[in-house]
Amino acid sequence: MKVFIDPPNSLILFDLVERFGHEPLGAMASIQERIDNIELDMPPMNVTLDDVVGGLRYAGVEVPSGIRGRLALWGPMIDAAEAAVIMTDAPFSFGCVGCERSSEMVKYLIQRRGIPCLRVGYPETEEEAEDAVLRIKGFLEGLG
Amino acid sequence: MSEDRETRLFMISPDSTVTPDQLAREIHAMGRGVAVKETCYGCLAEGSRAAVAEVLAEVRGRHPLDVFSKRRAYPAGDPRRCRAQHGTRPGYAQLEAEWAALAMISRGLEACGRGESPRPPAEPAGGLPVEKFKEIAEAIR
Repeated sequence: MKVFIDPPNSLILFDLVERFGHEPLGAMASIQERIDNIELDMPPMNVTLDDVVGGLRYAGVEVPSGIRGRLALWGPMIDAAEAAVIMTDAPFSFGCVGCERSSEMVKYLIQRRGIPCLRVGYPETEEEAEDAVLRIKGFLEGLG
Repeated sequence: MSEDRETRLFMISPDSTVTPDQLAREIHAMGRGVAVKETCYGCLAEGSRAAVAEVLAEVRGRHPLDVFSKRRAYPAGDPRRCRAQHGTRPGYAQLEAEWAALAMISRGLEACGRGESPRPPAEPAGGLPVEKFKEIAEAIR
């Protein structure tokens, strides 16, 4: 199953989703597509006009361009996802360069799609990490 | 083109005894035809999608709790990212934060191996009852 991960560039979530037998939908694939095929330097900081127009599907025109640029990349993946794993309460550096507004929009879009979604807290202790991994494993195995 | 190339980032958990040099040599020795670049946190492996998938499966088999992996968008040594050529590294702060948490994630994977179940979530702390709050407000008025 295709599982969207949030933060979309998380190493831990990407690894765990793949390890437990699903296809993680992360930022790297859509960034690589733009690097290889369009030769952009730094997506989603650099986007094409098509991306900006595409971002309008997910966020209104009054929304800052940085958020729309990010959603132009993450939005199609959320549309394609069949489930999602979200890590909440993460420290500032854990995420796409700390854009909290984009993260909120992503969570809203996932909720609006109504796909199975697991929210786990960012672990601070070994016990919390054990719980987080066990819950992620249980959720992913339950997806079938 | 994206279908042809896959670059994999392998990161070693901070509590592991595996070294980046050892990991890079192991991947070289697998002979799958992937390019390997040793880094401070582990290594990057780059090649065809099928070859990288074989390398990933073998590394996971040898070091299930020590090495974590994700796909990387930029090619290994890309001047836009490589710090040796003064490239920017906007994702590095996150990699550092996740590196610090990998030892704890390894303990979680060990718990999975033991067949443990997650503990029930703690009850959220309840708010002040309305009646109590009303008493306080009345007393201060």
